[in-house]
Amino acid sequence: MKTITELTEEAENYFTQIDTHAEDIQSSYQHIISVLDDALSRQDGEALLQLIPYIEQGDGRFAFQHVGKTHRFHRMLHIIRLEAAFHQSLFSEGCTSARELWEKYSLTLFAMRRLLFCLSEESMAEAVHYLHNRPISYLAAFTIMQNELPALNKAFYETLAQIYEEIWSTEEIRQFYSLISSAQGGLE
Amino acid sequence: MNDHKFCFIICTNDELLLSECLHYINHLMIPDNYEIDLLTISDAASITQGYQAAMEASDAKYKIYMHQDVFLLNRHLLADLLDIFQSDSQIGLVGLVGYDTISPNGIMWHAPRCGGLYTKKDAATYPALCDYRYSVAQDGYSCVAEVDGFFMATCQDVPWNTVELDGWDFYDAFQSVEFLQQGYKIAVPLQRHPWALHDDNQILNLTHYDKYRQRFLEKYEAFLGKHYTEVLRTEAGKEN
Repeated sequence: MKTITELTEEAENYFTQIDTHAEDIQSSYQHIISVLDDALSRQDGEALLQLIPYIEQGDGRFAFQHVGKTHRFHRMLHIIRLEAAFHQSLFSEGCTSARELWEKYSLTLFAMRRLLFCLSEESMAEAVHYLHNRPISYLAAFTIMQNELPALNKAFYETLAQIYEEIWSTEEIRQFYSLISSAQGGLE
Repeated sequence: MNDHKFCFIICTNDELLLSECLHYINHLMIPDNYEIDLLTISDAASITQGYQAAMEASDAKYKIYMHQDVFLLNRHLLADLLDIFQSDSQIGLVGLVGYDTISPNGIMWHAPRCGGLYTKKDAATYPALCDYRYSVAQDGYSCVAEVDGFFMATCQDVPWNTVELDGWDFYDAFQSVEFLQQGYKIAVPLQRHPWALHDDNQILNLTHYDKYRQRFLEKYEAFLGKHYTEVLRTEAGKEN
């Protein structure tokens, strides 16, 4: 366990780092947003995916370390890369700007949370309606759940699979369960 | 002052988050004979100015200052807050995450923490939300020196420091100390199931944090490293 002196020193280094790199943080985040806007407006998947190395190894690291939204954009890019590799509809489909992409991710996550927390019948019905009308791939559903939601029970996955049963193929549903199973070492 | 009224006060710059935040507020059970109100501030120059204006505008005895990215999970939260406030008339402020000591370096989360926030990692150990009920008698609460500003419920109006705090940081630490200095206790309930989920992207924006930390260190130097009882006692001593 760190002493208060060590914690203070660590925090002060962090504040200095933020101060020193304030412009880099802002400009790298702005770069990410403008590339997203441009690539999405042209539906240019290749340009979108070039942001992954920029965030992981390039100047985008400044944004990744200090701007929370970058983490979710980075996750979305990984989803899109996976979807492209597995010939799925891309998560970015229908989004023409970074703002629209962010909204799609947020609203999908909000809907999944509503299913999880069961606030009311109406709340859950709205969530089902949203998910059904803005479908995502099994890869996107799995990645969002895996990173944002706790380990869930079988009933939750079945609800989700039911929502998407007209959208996902039988094989995709099987893949969905298989991903969950391997991530959790077997379904409850 | 209407002592049967709660007012939610939220500074906002994101319609999407606010809308989801309100969805959870709209699912709260409202105790019999109580009403709720909502004030959202979208053009505040600073969080303290927004909160101060809303505080002056509302006649509700119970004001809940919270972030737009907080989703309230405990549907009985309002009744539970009433139980806590009514259990000890000295309690003026309730938070959901708090710290019993004012950290020597002013950074709240460097002090031992109490309370709870919904986390993905711990969710398996929480009781099912639909079965969960808080009880002051059985679960209790901790008294603390500071609470995290994502949720601050008050039953006393203490002015926000609009002069020294012209940004969006450190208002919670300043306000907590002000409550203690005025002789009010600050409580954080023990939450077997966390009462809220804070969707803060897991990375705090600390760009201006240090500037206000320096102001805090200067203004409250005498309280740094002190347990809440020492801060309360000091002020009680002054009154005597």
